[in-house]
Amino acid sequence: MKFKRERVTDEIPTSSMADIAFLLIIYFMITMTFTATRGLDFAPPKDDDNPPIIEREDSVLIEIQPNGDLIVDQRPMRLDELIDYLKPKLERNPEKPVIIRPEASAPYGRMVDVMDELRQGKEKAGLKEEIRISLPTQREIDSLWF
Amino acid sequence: MRLGAKNEYQPSIPTASMADIAFLLIIFFMLTITYEVDKTQLTIPKTQIRMEVPKKAAYVSVDPNGRLRVSNGEEMSALVPGVEDVLSFAASIIATDPGKAFVLKADTETEYRNVDEVLDALKRAKVEIIYLLSNAETVDDATSGE
Repeated sequence: MKFKRERVTDEIPTSSMADIAFLLIIYFMITMTFTATRGLDFAPPKDDDNPPIIEREDSVLIEIQPNGDLIVDQRPMRLDELIDYLKPKLERNPEKPVIIRPEASAPYGRMVDVMDELRQGKEKAGLKEEIRISLPTQREIDSLWF
Repeated sequence: MRLGAKNEYQPSIPTASMADIAFLLIIFFMLTITYEVDKTQLTIPKTQIRMEVPKKAAYVSVDPNGRLRVSNGEEMSALVPGVEDVLSFAASIIATDPGKAFVLKADTETEYRNVDEVLDALKRAKVEIIYLLSNAETVDDATSGE
């Protein structure tokens, strides 16, 4: 009796590879965040043994009221008027610091609006240098100013 | 004259390169993926100045009720009871990585006092750079802002 020998060819089964690959793609597409994480950068002043003492008269003080209104050097002002007000002062003294001081119950978003406007100041007002923005915390205000 | 037997072609979609394409897509997603370490749903402020946040930056989020969450940029954010915990968290990170960037993610309606306490804690921990997380401001947002 003659037996028929079955030929077995060596091969790696790859039929399900595409399915696995597409499952992985779907997983990555679902978990991926397309929007780049971005924000307004802000560098707190570094520790200095002799920090410069800034008198309030030498600076521009922007106070943010609880309702979001701005008081700039004790005068009410709209956000879009801010750069025009600052331009002549900063042309005379580019190092004049601009201090942002929000009230405790003011909305955080308003502080960011003001900081964003000041960061655009160099471009909008055609200034030579970036505006020196200072955002002291309440503890710093209590310990340094009063 | 007989021109020979007609070749019959079976219609089929070529799928041989599908796995290659799928694996290329997987490699793309694996290289570009960034996992969101803080999934707190907040209405963050909109700004025109937006700098890209470095990868694996640490997160501190503040919700409208003043609840605080922290993440070292690699693990999911966790709730912390108070601002002193933010200080110790930031100090421990800065001790190992002095140049680590921090992202402050706060709701636009959060009272500034909550953000002020966090900023103060980060300054005391000697954090060198803080990003105030924001969305892109459109022209419509800018004109309706005032």
